[in-house]
Amino acid sequence: MTREDLAVSRDRMRYTKDKLSANLVLAAIVLDALYFVSIYQSDVSTWYYNWVIGASIILNLLFLLTAFLASEGVKSRKSGFTIPLLVLGILQIVRIFYLPTRAHAATVVLTGTEIPVMDNGQYLYTVICLALSAVCCIAAAVNSFLNGRKLAEHMKSLEKQSA
Amino acid sequence: MAELSLQHLEKVYDNNVQAVYDFNLDVKDGELIVLVGPSGCGKSTTLRMVAGLEDITRGKMLLNGKDVTNAPAKDRDIAMVFQNYALYGHMTIYENMAFSLTLRKEDPNVIHKKVLAAAEVLGLTEQLNKKPSQLSGGQRQRVAMGRSIVRNPQLFLFDEPLSNLDAKLRSATRREILLLHKRLNATMLYVTHDQTEALTLADRIVCMSMGHVQQIGTPLELYDSPANLFVASFIGLPPMNFVDVKVEGANLVAKHFAIPMSPAEKNALASYQGKEIVLGFRPENTSVGNHFQMKVLSNENLGMNTLVHGHIGADGKGERITCKLNGWCNYKADDVVSISLTRKHFFDKETTNAIRMEEEA
Repeated sequence: MTREDLAVSRDRMRYTKDKLSANLVLAAIVLDALYFVSIYQSDVSTWYYNWVIGASIILNLLFLLTAFLASEGVKSRKSGFTIPLLVLGILQIVRIFYLPTRAHAATVVLTGTEIPVMDNGQYLYTVICLALSAVCCIAAAVNSFLNGRKLAEHMKSLEKQSA
Repeated sequence: MAELSLQHLEKVYDNNVQAVYDFNLDVKDGELIVLVGPSGCGKSTTLRMVAGLEDITRGKMLLNGKDVTNAPAKDRDIAMVFQNYALYGHMTIYENMAFSLTLRKEDPNVIHKKVLAAAEVLGLTEQLNKKPSQLSGGQRQRVAMGRSIVRNPQLFLFDEPLSNLDAKLRSATRREILLLHKRLNATMLYVTHDQTEALTLADRIVCMSMGHVQQIGTPLELYDSPANLFVASFIGLPPMNFVDVKVEGANLVAKHFAIPMSPAEKNALASYQGKEIVLGFRPENTSVGNHFQMKVLSNENLGMNTLVHGHIGADGKGERITCKLNGWCNYKADDVVSISLTRKHFFDKETTNAIRMEEEA
C-alpha cells in the first residue's frame, strides 16, 4: 500500500462506518444470547435461589442493551465507547467463573440420585459462548480505539493543512 | 463523453397506444438537449427508451456509433436523474453517492476519490455525513446528480429533475445544472414541461406534441422562428397571441382592424391573397401605437413592464390578447388602448405551419 493509498484510506474513515467493530459487538450480543438461552436448560433454578436467577436475567438484559448501544456508537466512530466495551468484555469473563463454573461444580439430588447441575458438554458450551463474547467485545474496543486514534490524527493533520 | 444518434425511434405500447412517432435526433458530444412539451407528449417515454427502461418498438439508437437499441440498461453506461431523487433514506449522502460504485465492487479508495470530487463540484462536501432527510430539496437533487457524476457515464439523462422544487430553488438549481454542464462538458438529455427551463438550459430544444417532434432548434430559433402554431403557442411566456386575418391587397384584415403589410410580408403572403391565415404576435412585440384598439380587462405591473390583458376592438368583442407594454401602466378595466405590433408571425390556417418571410428563410 502506497503512502497515498494509506492517506486515502484514513480519509475514508471520515465518511464510512466502523463496520468491523460494530459487527464484533453484534457477534458478542449473539453469543451472549446463546449463553443466556443455554444456561437455563440445566437445573439451576432448583439449585440457586430465585433472586440470583432474577439478577442474572437483569444483568443479561443490561448487557444486551449496553452492547447494542455501544455497537451503534462504534459504528459511527464515536469516541467514548472503548471503555464501556472493555468493561463488558471483562464482565463476560467474570461471569464464566460465577454461574457456569459454580453450577458445573455443584450437584443436586433428584429422585434419590446425585447429579451435576451442569454437565460437561453444557459447561463447555456456555464457557465458549461467554469467552468468545468477551473476546469480541475487547477486540471491538481495541479496533475502535485504534481507528479512532488514526482518525483523530488525520483530522488534526487536515486542520493543520487548512490553517 | 458521447455522441447519441436516435434514428426513426417509435414506441408502441402493448395496448397499441403509440407514444412516440418517428423520432430523429443527433446529439453532439457535450451538447445539452432539452425535450420539451406538454404532459403526455412522449418526451419521458423517449428518455426512458434512451435509458433502456422502455423497449424500442422500431428504430435504432447509436451511442458513439455503437448500436445499443436492444442493449440492457446496465450495459449502456448512461446515468439518469429522476424527479423524485430516488435516494436511499437510511444511507448517508456519501453512501448514496458511492452506492453504484460499491455495487460494481470498485476499489474503496477509488470510490472515495470520485465521491469527494463530485461532492466538491456540487458543493456537497459539508453534507456528506448527513442523511437525505436532513437536506433541502435542491441539495437532494444535487446528491442525485452526484450519484450520476461519480459513475462518469457517457450520457446523462434528466427526467424533470426540478419539478419537485419551489420556484426559487428551481431557478437556483437550474443555474447549477448549467454550470455543471459547462464544467463537465457532458452530453445531457433533459426532459421538462417547463419552457423557461428549456430556453435557459438548452443548446438545442426538441419540442414535442402528441408523440411527434414539432421542431428541433436552438432556443432562439424556437422563440424567434417557431415552425408551427403549436411551437409558437408553447414557447414563450406569456404565450403568443393569435388572430385570424385575411390577406387583402396590401393589408391584413380582421374584423376589428386592417394592418398594412411591409414589402417583405407582402412577398411572403403573395400566394395567400384572399385567403385566411393566422397572425401571431408575442406580447413583448407590442407597443402603444396605431394598428388596432384593445379594450382592457386587467393589467399586471411587473416593474419594468406591464402585462395588459384585454380584447381586440374598442367594443371588446375581438380575440382575447395579452400585451407587454414598456413601463408602469395604470390601465383600468374598459379603458381602450391603441396597440402597434413590432414583429409578426404568420401561420397557414390549414397546415398550421409557419409562413416564412425571406429574411427568416
